Amino acid sequence: MKRPLKLSLMAAVLAAGGCATLSPEAERQLEEARATYRFASDDPHVQRYAAAELASASTALREAERLAAEGGSPELVEHNAYLAERRSRTALGSAQIRQAEADIAVTREERRRTQLEAREREAAAARAQLLARERVEKEKVSVAATDLAAEVKRLETELADVRAKQTDRGWILTLKNELLFDSGGATLKPGAQRALDNLAQFLRKHPERDIAIEGFTDSIGSPDSNQRLSERRAQAVKDALTGRGIESRRINARGFGPSFPVASNATETGRQLNRRVEIVINPS
Amino acid sequence: MKRLALFFLPLAACATTEPPVSEMAAARQMVAQARAIAAQDAAQDLATAQSKLAHAEAAMQREQYEHARLLAQQAEADAKLAWTNAEKLQAQRALREERSGR
Repeated sequence: MKRPLKLSLMAAVLAAGGCATLSPEAERQLEEARATYRFASDDPHVQRYAAAELASASTALREAERLAAEGGSPELVEHNAYLAERRSRTALGSAQIRQAEADIAVTREERRRTQLEAREREAAAARAQLLARERVEKEKVSVAATDLAAEVKRLETELADVRAKQTDRGWILTLKNELLFDSGGATLKPGAQRALDNLAQFLRKHPERDIAIEGFTDSIGSPDSNQRLSERRAQAVKDALTGRGIESRRINARGFGPSFPVASNATETGRQLNRRVEIVINPS
Repeated sequence: MKRLALFFLPLAACATTEPPVSEMAAARQMVAQARAIAAQDAAQDLATAQSKLAHAEAAMQREQYEHARLLAQQAEADAKLAWTNAEKLQAQRALREERSGR
């Protein structure tokens, strides 16, 4: 039998100590406490989350070791070893609680983020849909603008000696006076009728657009008479259009005489360009 | 059985004579706290703690104060372990529920 030998050995070793010798049960308990404590203290989670419990386990274990080394009572060795073992297990459990709680928080955060992402995706889809609708609307508008440009161009080709250009004020059609009037007069020539028909047709087709009719002359002659002539000519064009059923309030007729020349009045070619009626098609 | 070993301890040779008032209070408090949640999840440790506390109370009655002190300390350690393990199991259940999406 080994046991009596071991016991007697221990008794010999501990004889100098105190009240009692270390019993096999105390030794077994101490060994279990050491192992459990080592297992717990090696766990970084325990070190981090259950430091206080681990420290109290350590205190009990040190006390058990001290008593064992000094030959303290086996009951007290056993008692402290038992406390060390229980507290080590409690420290392990505390760390596992914290771990589970941390995992719960992570899981919730992940779900929250997933839901947020889903909401953001929905919002992005809604925005994209809105943008697509806006784009369609813009295209419609731009198609309308293209339509207008095409019509103006058609007007330009249909009316001889008419030039059209797009400006900040809208489209401007320039009609040479030679096309519309005899020199010095404000009576429309028969040849002007087709141009006026086309213009009236255009205005009927675009009831949302108002126009301005602006008369200009060259600088030959007195400024006053030129001013009056340009006014009468603009008014004559307006009358011709209202005579074709266009509402008067849509047409603003004005004369500017020799002001705002578009070319030099020093040459006949330049003066011819300056004698003109401009039809300004306002932007809608 | 090892957990009950101390019940049969003789009075320790170097016993103190002061009643272990704070140890008893701590043990009672911890056992009560564990009883509230550990009845199902840590039944065995809770039962051990309750039994040791009862023996500690009895030892107090007999004025075996050192014996009572040791039993009270063990009862507290057992109850704390029971409480911790019950909490741990509940937290782990909550985690499983959370992960399964509820």
